[in-house]
Amino acid sequence: MNRIRLMLAILAGKTFIIISRLLGNQGSSFPGKIARRIYPAVLMELAAQVKGKIIVITGTNGKTTTSNMVARIINESNATLIHNQSGANMIPGITTAFIEKSGLTGRKKFEYALLETDEAHVPLLLKELNPSLLLITNFFSDQLDRFGELDNIIKKIKAAVNNREIDLLLNADDPLTAHFHDLTSLRRYYFGFTATSYDSYDSQESREGRYCIICGQKLEYQRYHYAGLGKFNCPECGNHNPELNFTGHNLVMASHIELMVDNIKITSPYQGFDNAYNIIAAVATARILGINEQDIQKGIADYQPQAGRMETFYINGRPAVLILVKNPTGLNQSLNTVIQDISLKNLFFALNDNQGDGRDISWIWDADIEVIEEEQHRIKQVVCSGWRSGDMALRVKYAGYPVERIAIKSNLKEAIEHITSLESEVVYLFSTYSALFKCRKILERMSDVRDRKPEAESMRSEG
Amino acid sequence: MAEFIIAHMYPDLMNLYGDRGNLLCLRKRLQWYGYQSYINEISFASKPDYHNVDMIFMGGGSDREVKLIYQDLISKGADLKKAMEDGIPMLFIDSAYQLLGQAYMDADENLIDGLGFFKFSTLRAKNRLTGNIILNSTITGKECTVVGFENHYGCTYFQDDNLQPFGRVLKGFGNNGEDGYEGLIYKNLIGTYLHGPLLPKNPEIADFFIKAMAERRGITVKSGLDDSIEHFAHNQVKDKILARS
Repeated sequence: MNRIRLMLAILAGKTFIIISRLLGNQGSSFPGKIARRIYPAVLMELAAQVKGKIIVITGTNGKTTTSNMVARIINESNATLIHNQSGANMIPGITTAFIEKSGLTGRKKFEYALLETDEAHVPLLLKELNPSLLLITNFFSDQLDRFGELDNIIKKIKAAVNNREIDLLLNADDPLTAHFHDLTSLRRYYFGFTATSYDSYDSQESREGRYCIICGQKLEYQRYHYAGLGKFNCPECGNHNPELNFTGHNLVMASHIELMVDNIKITSPYQGFDNAYNIIAAVATARILGINEQDIQKGIADYQPQAGRMETFYINGRPAVLILVKNPTGLNQSLNTVIQDISLKNLFFALNDNQGDGRDISWIWDADIEVIEEEQHRIKQVVCSGWRSGDMALRVKYAGYPVERIAIKSNLKEAIEHITSLESEVVYLFSTYSALFKCRKILERMSDVRDRKPEAESMRSEG
Repeated sequence: MAEFIIAHMYPDLMNLYGDRGNLLCLRKRLQWYGYQSYINEISFASKPDYHNVDMIFMGGGSDREVKLIYQDLISKGADLKKAMEDGIPMLFIDSAYQLLGQAYMDADENLIDGLGFFKFSTLRAKNRLTGNIILNSTITGKECTVVGFENHYGCTYFQDDNLQPFGRVLKGFGNNGEDGYEGLIYKNLIGTYLHGPLLPKNPEIADFFIKAMAERRGITVKSGLDDSIEHFAHNQVKDKILARS
């Protein structure tokens, strides 16, 4: 009987996957939802097809990029893989990914499953399947309105992994991962950076994690790599960065990233310190899985930025770079990368407040938009769009950017046509999640050529 | 040129959902009106003279953070109360607002004493009261709408009929989702659940504080600023909230 329900669930799931493809939807959770309605244990049973390891990747920032890099490496090693893509990272989306790869009877075999999972959904997911590795990229203040405070999420994840045979891969530079130090039953691996030439000694950014989670004292930082990540210690209880199992060093960031992870040299077409962390997390994951050095190097080197992650379009010969933003830390990091480009530029922001974006848009006030004002001699115009175009325009105004150079055009198409028609050498387009694919479609339609040039060419770096 | 000093209570800890935007807003508007301003950050152990500041601001914080500042805040209670009675403008948001009452319930459902400035108490709802909110307020002398975003478990109940709410809820939950009240106003103090942040999209409320600061210094603030973007943003979210009925 269950066998039949499973097959019905797979069949229905597969049917809806085809339908939602035809409707042009990306990474859909709906087929998974339907299949679970028909047979609630569908994910639990399909997970048994994985004969090797199930890897769960979560954290606030970088989980999509990191898991895509790991997927690339696994593909390089010719292993079979189930992997949920493009933001469908809650239980129904993960179910969809399993159904898509499965045969109609649900009896195929796979070596790995790689599951990018929303932080708040990790405890639920762990009820349905048994991963052997959980990677937590970092914890920053993100989309608080959906889930309650960060502390709560961390506590729940901790409770869910306690007394389970799950290895943890944690960011040694993130003070909030100290929550997991006292779990005695688990194996823990740590990745992080030694001193880099990009470190700073004071941080003005988001306050999350700057207090010791053990005793509540304010942490002292010897150096910040980016946001709250760095070398820290607690003057009260002595809490400090754990020892590294995977050490990033010799970091060079220009139009691409070069670094060493232990003794492996890695080169990636990505940019920015956030991506340097994604790379080291991906490399560490691959090492734990036992994948060889060459496959790791090739996987990372060949992995190009994708939808909304500094993806470049060419419109009338000029680059337009699309960037997904969803929280203050990510926006700060992207803005810092953008202002390193000394080209004359125009900026575009699409701010939506749908479920996928987080209903509360107040996070834009926790980001340091003020860099736009400091860079105003090279930023000619700012166009604000989306359901909350007014809030974005206000934020830019109160950052001190000249109000006469701010335009509000709530309609995405009109806004993008306007910003790309204005004089500049490059346009940077920031978008929250629910506007991203629409922006992408509009940009694709306006593009000169279908084949995009390598992203690295579009930025001129200062110094 | 006149200089205004705004005290920011526990800036590292008490800042949820962009509350610091209220200070960015006040400082820029003061600048546009032609005044300078400074932020006086008040944290543990500092013993500020509240009569040397023009305004006091405290944002919201999570349960953990409220616990961290609690003892220190209680020790500053008497001075804060005097400042409030003297009419110093004050803005207290979310958990900072709750602390002004007699008691509040923490995440583990323990009832904790507040500062006790007002006869109200805050219990804890089963489900989070969250979403866009719109109020009617008359605190500026004429009726105006106030928009924001609320996100709280706290259910605040007035136990004194003389307490005045900051506004009356048109859409949303407010103090408790039952009596239609949102926040509290007393002299130049506003306590409220509204994030958003509150002031940028509600320039009338920002100017309420600026005028109160100036008045105490005997300064008359010159005529209004160009608030067209502010009003656009206000109306954009207002239309959105009212359309969802």
